[in-house]
Amino acid sequence: MSNIIGIVNYGVAGNIHSVKKAIEKAGGETLVINSASDFKSVDKLVIPGVGSFKSSMKELESDGFIDLIKGFHKPILGICLGMQLLAKIGYEHGRTDGLNLIDAEVKPILCDAKIPHMGFQKIQVINSNKLLKDIEKEEFYFMHSYEMINYTNILALTSYGNHSFVCSIQKDNIYGVQFHPEKSRQAGIKLLSNFIQLENN
Amino acid sequence: MNTRIIAKLDVKPPYVVKPVHFEGLRKVGEPAHLAKKYFDQGADELFYIDIVSSLYQRNILSSDIIKTASELFIPFAVGGGVKTVDDFSNLLHMGADKVVINSFAVQNNPNIINIAAEIFGNQAIVVNIEAKKWKKNWECYTDCGRIQSGKDVIEWAKDVQQRGAGEILLQSVDHDGRRRGFDIDLATRVVNSVDIPVVVASGAGSLEDISKLIKVANPSGIALASLLHYDQLTIKDIRNYLRNEGLMT
Repeated sequence: MSNIIGIVNYGVAGNIHSVKKAIEKAGGETLVINSASDFKSVDKLVIPGVGSFKSSMKELESDGFIDLIKGFHKPILGICLGMQLLAKIGYEHGRTDGLNLIDAEVKPILCDAKIPHMGFQKIQVINSNKLLKDIEKEEFYFMHSYEMINYTNILALTSYGNHSFVCSIQKDNIYGVQFHPEKSRQAGIKLLSNFIQLENN
Repeated sequence: MNTRIIAKLDVKPPYVVKPVHFEGLRKVGEPAHLAKKYFDQGADELFYIDIVSSLYQRNILSSDIIKTASELFIPFAVGGGVKTVDDFSNLLHMGADKVVINSFAVQNNPNIINIAAEIFGNQAIVVNIEAKKWKKNWECYTDCGRIQSGKDVIEWAKDVQQRGAGEILLQSVDHDGRRRGFDIDLATRVVNSVDIPVVVASGAGSLEDISKLIKVANPSGIALASLLHYDQLTIKDIRNYLRNEGLMT
């Protein structure tokens, strides 16, 4: 059975290279999705993230990817901004509609500490799950100024500057992590390997 | 949150070099090899600065960057001669997570920071400040500490934050490569002047220098070069020491 991991390439801002090599390190076969026709060749979807909410949604729209992501019924993993894009609305550089797959909004992190939140940090698993299996106690690399605000579908939290925020979500086939598994040493590779091993139905 | 420990490679392709006072280059190894070594030691991040591309007005070499990124599963910031949105985009596509900019923003057009932040997000924009003491203040230098800008370091730090920089790499032209301690006054002033993370480089010569910097200035990260290049200490040694001092968990 094929198990090809599609990595959504949405223009100028994605860190495709890092995500691709980390998935390959985790034992996955990858296909970078450059056009709408590539979606039918893949069994899982990773939405990487470096960029801003507004420009990324614009890119996804002009590439014709929005409906294809929404209609994808096998496992999806959103990373950092890729997770945030799953939300209903984002407020980075103005209000922008997101993919609306998760009932959430994306807003600036409001806390006493320095922003962006950058560095390795432990997570606190709220609902045990297959994605974070065996790495619940590890630390992961965060690099963001915005957070996803939601009250359902939460897998894990992290706290920073006395402020607790959502760092992993799941709803049915859709997963998201605020941190960067591709930048989180062995623990991140293990997370990607967990994702690769999810069933494709 | 723990202070990030970052290994910094100053590259004059095809070698990592170590300038003293930003002058007098010494070869210390190949970028990909050293990157792997510091990743294995447990570095939190890697900075790769092509220190001659701006001075020679040429583009940064892509093959070395791709090779360096290939075995690295930690954040990777790359800079050197960055001028345009395309430069940012190209470096991010080569495997950089953050792009470091200095000369062009200080000397030519600071708006590049605003434009890049809007497209790539604040977290992807690192502004490198090369500070040199002048009377009671510090002035921004560029092109590896060679060219003056007339800009005050503190004012510029506040300005780049306003424009959307996600982080500041603070180097000291006076202290760099001497391994006699950081410019703690400079670091404290800059850290306290901005709300974005500041990574302090230049001058680490001992474990005590590092703990003193953390105690007094408490930057988000420290960038180390000579200390690691000459195997004086490993990142593991530093972490263990800081844990014992109660400065790290």
